[in-house]
Amino acid sequence: MYRKQVRRRRAVLTLLILGSFLLLTISYGRGSGSIQDGVSTIFSPLEKVADRALKPARDLVDWFDKTFEARGENSRLSEELEQARTEAVAGQEAIQENSQLRKLLELDRDPVIATSPFDPVTGRVIARSPTVWHSSVTIDLGSGDGVVLDDPVISGDGLAGEISAVQPNSSQVQLISDHASAVSGKVLPLGVQGVVRPSVGDPEDLVLDFINSSKRVSVGQTVVTSGWRAQGLASLFPPGIPIGEVTKASVLEQEASQQVHLRPFADLANLDMVQVLTGGPR
Amino acid sequence: MIITPKILARLVVIAILVVLLQLSFFSRVTLLQTSPDILPAFVVVLGLLGGSMSGAVTGFSVGFLVDCLVAGTLGVTSLVLLGVGYVAGLFRERFEIHSSLVPPLLCMLLTLAAEVGFALVELTLGIDAPISDLVLRDMALKGIYAFFLGWPLYYGMRLALRAALVDEPRVERRRQPTVLGVR
Repeated sequence: MYRKQVRRRRAVLTLLILGSFLLLTISYGRGSGSIQDGVSTIFSPLEKVADRALKPARDLVDWFDKTFEARGENSRLSEELEQARTEAVAGQEAIQENSQLRKLLELDRDPVIATSPFDPVTGRVIARSPTVWHSSVTIDLGSGDGVVLDDPVISGDGLAGEISAVQPNSSQVQLISDHASAVSGKVLPLGVQGVVRPSVGDPEDLVLDFINSSKRVSVGQTVVTSGWRAQGLASLFPPGIPIGEVTKASVLEQEASQQVHLRPFADLANLDMVQVLTGGPR
Repeated sequence: MIITPKILARLVVIAILVVLLQLSFFSRVTLLQTSPDILPAFVVVLGLLGGSMSGAVTGFSVGFLVDCLVAGTLGVTSLVLLGVGYVAGLFRERFEIHSSLVPPLLCMLLTLAAEVGFALVELTLGIDAPISDLVLRDMALKGIYAFFLGWPLYYGMRLALRAALVDEPRVERRRQPTVLGVR
């Protein structure tokens, strides 16, 4: 009886492990889309409800976290802290949303986006991936809102990521802090170009790769999307969307290139409202 | 654990609620710049209450659901969480839990193991981007958060699944204390 139980247990365990490897294989064969789309479609209404219901609790935890961080900083930040406290105590959630929407509106009016063929659609983040190894969020916009795969996603402060999966009522956004993300960017005002890649585990740090050392990049300069177009191919991102600010730039002598670190403008850890730039060139 | 259709339905509902709670709440709040991850702790708790099979099956199912909802690589979370659930269940089958500190400590240790597991699987699958040292801090903090979250989770789940749990004889005071089952 005991042996039979052990055999059955081993069989189930082996099946589960094989199942996991099978899923991995399917995932790498790009055949997992329909499974994930189906499950996401079923669960997206529940995610929306959970997002709404848990927002006050999230705001409370954020307030504690921000207060804790601010206690260790100097007096220059005390005014901001006071302001944050006032907002939190008053519980004026609407003010926060309003300001995010205003920022998004300002970015809409930016000549770069205003003159591009993109049609911005505003949405809300409803879920987030639990691990640093896969940096993505789920938003409440889907194919019904005109969202398609690879559409750029921005927050009020700058580039946030791109659409990596679409369901009728929701989509997944691969953030620029995800290890698989790569965005072509250029440093202003020099115009030197490179590929912006994440530093896995640190959402506050991005790395600009493949940058030539003939023009020296310096701290404080802004990096925007380069939006290249060549031989009928075009970048997914329109040119000129702010990505981040250079925090460290050093020349690598042996590689004849510069190692440039930047801090993203978008607060990737606390995204709430985002805009998907739909209708771009394919 | 005695799994009846009613208990199974209850387990499924709880698992879905925990996944939604993770994705819509815990993943979106940061404490010391790190988000807590209750999923490994949840799987550990079910392993401790139901044994290795319950732990493994729950880990696989929860991992599958998470990978589908965040459009991650299917199979990664399933593989890691099924391992965590199985180990927690084995502990339950081989050793007696004498101290109330054991569940949260196991939650902490196995959450750390899960984080290392995620890292290993992702690195095996290939990561082109540089990896920050902050990953280590993130892992350590997730483990600490799991310790504090494991406690209420364990007692909450015990309460929720009380009807399914096999009654264990109370440990008498006269009995010699054991360390990990060894006299």
